[in-house]
Amino acid sequence: ERRSSSLQHRSALFACGQKQVNSHESWSLSPEEFEIWDRLYRIKEGDGIKEPVLPRVRFETLENLEETPKPREGAARELSLSEWSVWQNQPLPTSLVDHSDRCHLFISAMEMMELMRHQQGDCSYERELQPHLQMEDVNIPGNRRNLSRANPP
Amino acid sequence: MAAGGEERQMLTQRLKAAVHYTVGCLCQEVEEDKDVQFSKQSIAAISEITFRQCEIFAKDLEMFARHAKRTTVTTEDVKLLARRSNSLKSEELASSHIEQKEKKKKKSSVAKGERTPGEQEAAVTENEDSNMV
Repeated sequence: ERRSSSLQHRSALFACGQKQVNSHESWSLSPEEFEIWDRLYRIKEGDGIKEPVLPRVRFETLENLEETPKPREGAARELSLSEWSVWQNQPLPTSLVDHSDRCHLFISAMEMMELMRHQQGDCSYERELQPHLQMEDVNIPGNRRNLSRANPP
Repeated sequence: MAAGGEERQMLTQRLKAAVHYTVGCLCQEVEEDKDVQFSKQSIAAISEITFRQCEIFAKDLEMFARHAKRTTVTTEDVKLLARRSNSLKSEELASSHIEQKEKKKKKSSVAKGERTPGEQEAAVTENEDSNMV
């Protein structure tokens, strides 16, 4: 119900556009808007809902500059980008915005991992590419790779 | 154009093989560093992601250069690739100035348009997931 009421509100806000805009020319909510937000959308102590937060970016191999303030323990629910990975080997429906190339990359990578999930040891990807490797393409100084991995027995 | 397509396919495979090999080397470094083991499948997945991410980087770099009315991609464009994360940005800046540890040098190769370390790609990709639609 919440959702439909929010949609109604949105259209209501747009419908009375001019009047609404004039009633508050600042960037913040007008008292009426604040009242609506407070009543319908604001997450409050008694709601039994945790505040949704997005995971922060952390680099394993770099210095992390962005110090992240930790929310109060148990007060927030971190939104997961991996919990539903089994759903992500296909494009999910879109509304107005098409999937991007980046998104298609992600989907095809998930698909590939799904296909390789049950492979043991030897890897089909490697088998397929092995004949195409030309060592002059991979001139890595200080390369300490043992070649047994590049040349499967 | 069948011949052209075939040739293109061969080039693609050759490049993929090179990326795969390089990702393998980088993963091996991480293995030694962190005392973990990568399965062949995980290395293959990181390679494929890296390869495809390069396509995205290439398109972005072209756009950034064109946006600045240039036809040549410069380090400025590369810095823009890292715009979403301060840690990544400062890494780019640092590595374009000072001689760094070997490990960091590998990363700066990104800035010079060489091949990209898979793990950094993965981090970027992960970072971008939230921007996906």
